[in-house]
Amino acid sequence: MKKLLVSLAAAVGLAAGSAQAAYPERPITMIVPFAAGGPTDVVARIVGEHMSKTLGQQIVVENVAGAGGTTGIARGAAAAPDGYTIMMGHMGTHGAAPALYPNLKYDPTKDFAPVGLAAGTPILIVTRKDFPAKDLKEFIAYMKANSEKVNEAHAGVGSVSFTTCTLLNSLLGAKPSRVAYRGTGPAINDLVGGQVDYACDQIVNLVPQIQAGTIRALSIATPERSPSLPNVPTTKEGGLPEYEVSAWNAVFAPKGTSPEIVAKLNDALVKALDDENTRKRLLELGGVIPDKAGRSPQALQKLVESEVARWTPVLKAAGATAN
Amino acid sequence: MSEHPTGPTARSDEGSHAIRSPQNFAAGLSLVALMVFALWAGRDLDQGTLRAMGAGMLPRAIAVLIGLCGAALVAVSFVKDGDPLERWHLRGPFFVCLGILAFAFTIRSVGLAVAGPLVAIVSGVASPETRLRELLAFALVVTAFCIGLFRYVLNLPLPVLIIPPGVLPGLPAGLYL
Amino acid sequence: MDIFSNLALGFSTALTLQNLGLAFVGCLIGTLIGVLPGVGPIATITMLLPITFGLDPVGALILLAGIYYGAQYGGSTTAILVNIPGEATAVVTTLDGHQMAKQGRAGIALGIAAIGSFFAGCVATLIIAALAKPLTGLALLFGPAEYFSLMVMGLVFAVVLARGSILKAVAMILVGLLLSMVGTDLETGAERMTFGYAPLADGIDFAVLAMGIFGFAEVLRNLEHPEARDVVKQRIGRLLPSWEDLKQSAAPVLRGTLLGGALGILPGNGAVLGPFASYTLEKKFAKDPSRFGRGAIEGVAGPESANNAGAQTSFIPLLTLGIPPNAVMALMVGAMTIHGIVPGPQVMTKNPTLFWGMIASMWIGNLMLLVINLPLVGMWVRLLKVPYRLMFPAILVFSCIGIYSVNNSPADVIFTAAFAIVGYAFIKFGFEPAPLLLGYVLGKLMEENLRRALIISRGDIMTFAERPVSAGLLLVALALLVVAVLPAVRKSRNEAFAE
Repeated sequence: MKKLLVSLAAAVGLAAGSAQAAYPERPITMIVPFAAGGPTDVVARIVGEHMSKTLGQQIVVENVAGAGGTTGIARGAAAAPDGYTIMMGHMGTHGAAPALYPNLKYDPTKDFAPVGLAAGTPILIVTRKDFPAKDLKEFIAYMKANSEKVNEAHAGVGSVSFTTCTLLNSLLGAKPSRVAYRGTGPAINDLVGGQVDYACDQIVNLVPQIQAGTIRALSIATPERSPSLPNVPTTKEGGLPEYEVSAWNAVFAPKGTSPEIVAKLNDALVKALDDENTRKRLLELGGVIPDKAGRSPQALQKLVESEVARWTPVLKAAGATAN
Repeated sequence: MSEHPTGPTARSDEGSHAIRSPQNFAAGLSLVALMVFALWAGRDLDQGTLRAMGAGMLPRAIAVLIGLCGAALVAVSFVKDGDPLERWHLRGPFFVCLGILAFAFTIRSVGLAVAGPLVAIVSGVASPETRLRELLAFALVVTAFCIGLFRYVLNLPLPVLIIPPGVLPGLPAGLYL
Repeated sequence: MDIFSNLALGFSTALTLQNLGLAFVGCLIGTLIGVLPGVGPIATITMLLPITFGLDPVGALILLAGIYYGAQYGGSTTAILVNIPGEATAVVTTLDGHQMAKQGRAGIALGIAAIGSFFAGCVATLIIAALAKPLTGLALLFGPAEYFSLMVMGLVFAVVLARGSILKAVAMILVGLLLSMVGTDLETGAERMTFGYAPLADGIDFAVLAMGIFGFAEVLRNLEHPEARDVVKQRIGRLLPSWEDLKQSAAPVLRGTLLGGALGILPGNGAVLGPFASYTLEKKFAKDPSRFGRGAIEGVAGPESANNAGAQTSFIPLLTLGIPPNAVMALMVGAMTIHGIVPGPQVMTKNPTLFWGMIASMWIGNLMLLVINLPLVGMWVRLLKVPYRLMFPAILVFSCIGIYSVNNSPADVIFTAAFAIVGYAFIKFGFEPAPLLLGYVLGKLMEENLRRALIISRGDIMTFAERPVSAGLLLVALALLVVAVLPAVRKSRNEAFAE
């Protein structure tokens, strides 16, 4: 048996080549901590496809869903820092998670070698189509007067829509009834059906509904309007400039990955973000592509630090925990 | 194996006829045990109110209903004739589960090339009809097929063979394939 | 009429050589992967998703739809041959389908499943083409209260599924409900019955539960009773259904199609109820209900048709509302977004070629399934001739890989071993696993919708009776329950008097 193993391993080893060859010499696994088909997965696959071309090795997406994405990221953080396991983290796993999961197995600010920001999706505030408030100003006034009567839909504790709406509610001092759904789809369904009143969610899930007029978009939480929804004013225009959030996605490697490998990965990522076809596909989804300055590993590290600092007090004050 | 179950059944047939349906009696008791276990497992959960139901309200209610079903089964087992308790065989469940566990513990540490044959061979011991040599060859063929299909045709992120450091002198440790 | 010009547009798109080829390839590989035990439709589609990336959107969607149908049918094949349901809707198929296989009628079961599915697919395609738009409004009538009542009705079906004691069936449904509550609570984020063990935080996966309690427990049972499975080895019997079989199945297929098609339109995963509802209906219509669970062909024909009709019409909420009704459809949404199509109310008007092309390809996909699978039936049935001492290790290898690759999680594999023991204990205690699985599937939906409805109504329980659709569903559930329980009560009273 052992003999067999040795010869098998030898045969296989030959195919794999020597260990000192230039990185990357075999396919790279990218852990996506959410199920296939979600916004983060879509971004990872689009960006990963072009990165594979630059690196000359395929990037294989491995979906490890669970516990708001922290299961997959915890696994990635513990992987060998050899550049063959990287992961697509996002606002939840590297921003909100420390507040939501007291037993989190990693520290977003310390346990990673950041590679670079990939693409973000802006957050929209949407209401059912016959909600009394027609724009953000009216919404703020309405929420201040009647928030107990209002029902908010979110995609489950720890989801992007939950986290971002927690921030909105705390900015407005509102205490609506929060109705949980399993994912964005059913939540938006009940918003379309008029069973609930409002929600905050990523633009990619909402554009077709807004364009069809089945729900109403009040405001978009980015500094500038989105090309996919040019008629939707920003939160700044609507009088709530503090509410500026985006569900960003970014590539991380485990802590200890060599700077050369990180540089190679970052270079492939930057090239992907400059590629016309990749850009087009991301923009079609309503995605926001970071500018040149925002794509460096250093910028990502800063972003993670500021996001953790921002979400922790908001979520703790709301008493939200996913554990 | 045994077409004529022995053990508890035989004894209850010969002994007192208080329990007329040993299977229902045991089934009922297991449900009551499950209730106790579920209530204990969920002891810290919030009950909540109808206006805002807590996480514990339904699990507790369901657990109690399960317990009631169990109690009813136990009661029925005293008044109605029913099936005897079948004998439990240990060999099958033990080796099949051992094989599955072996797969679970090796798939990420040494890879499919080892985990595949392992589950087939360990679980093969569960059957008295197994012929070791035939099974060994078959396990290797099935595993090779799976590696080809899942790893190469479908490109799934399944580790095929990982050599842990120090196991095979002369070969560097690390991931192969 | 509009529908004909639309369908003509669709067929002109779908009938190109490339797209026909894609539909064929999709159905074929979907079937071949989906037939592996442990690899259900979700795992199959996840695995095959990347191969669609290089194609244009219409072609990719046609390929994907083919994979989806193929995977569904492949799942039914494993349910019939080795008693492992790949997804919730195939649970019912195991009841009589696997019994038929044990009686040497595997080919007939597979054949009737293919034929019933084809018929259901044809009807459902027409329903979608004609009614997609108007039906959208219907789906929106369903809020949390209505879904809760619908799920209560579904649980009543589970009682009817039972072969033996009703008390035991009810207990199993409750255990299923309890299992569905393990994991992080959606509403509050509290961990329920997880013992702080992280892999349990997201609850128990359906595939894990079904594999352990159905598939592996079946393996254990077979290891213990060599005589029970020898039947399969000895007589293979006819490969395809006879005229008699077809006549017997015609009405169930029709009823199943209508039921499944109607339930599939609901965006809250109503399709999952289709096969159960159909089975219940057929059992009630049958002259001799005791045949059910012992290899009744109606118990395969009806539910399989309902399954396929539902699978088809569940594209309605997806294509018209942009809302995925279940996990498989959510995956399809992801696939579409990768190709730059975000499903929603406007796909139909903005991208008519795609919309109608896809509908036409649904029909083509169903035809392909029939064309591919009728010849394959012989091959599948011959697989049963593999001696069991080799078959069960192979089942275990494929199942372990399949379960592992859904979430790339070894913990899931460990859970299947635990559930295998539980399933084995159930066999010994005379519990049936089917009601448990239905309870499990409906449990989450039921609890979540109950709590949502109560939050929205501010704790007023009358909301379920005040909303007409909800009240109607509850009344139907009550009526069904009475119909289901009365004969049993009468029977046991008669027995009691006889003593």
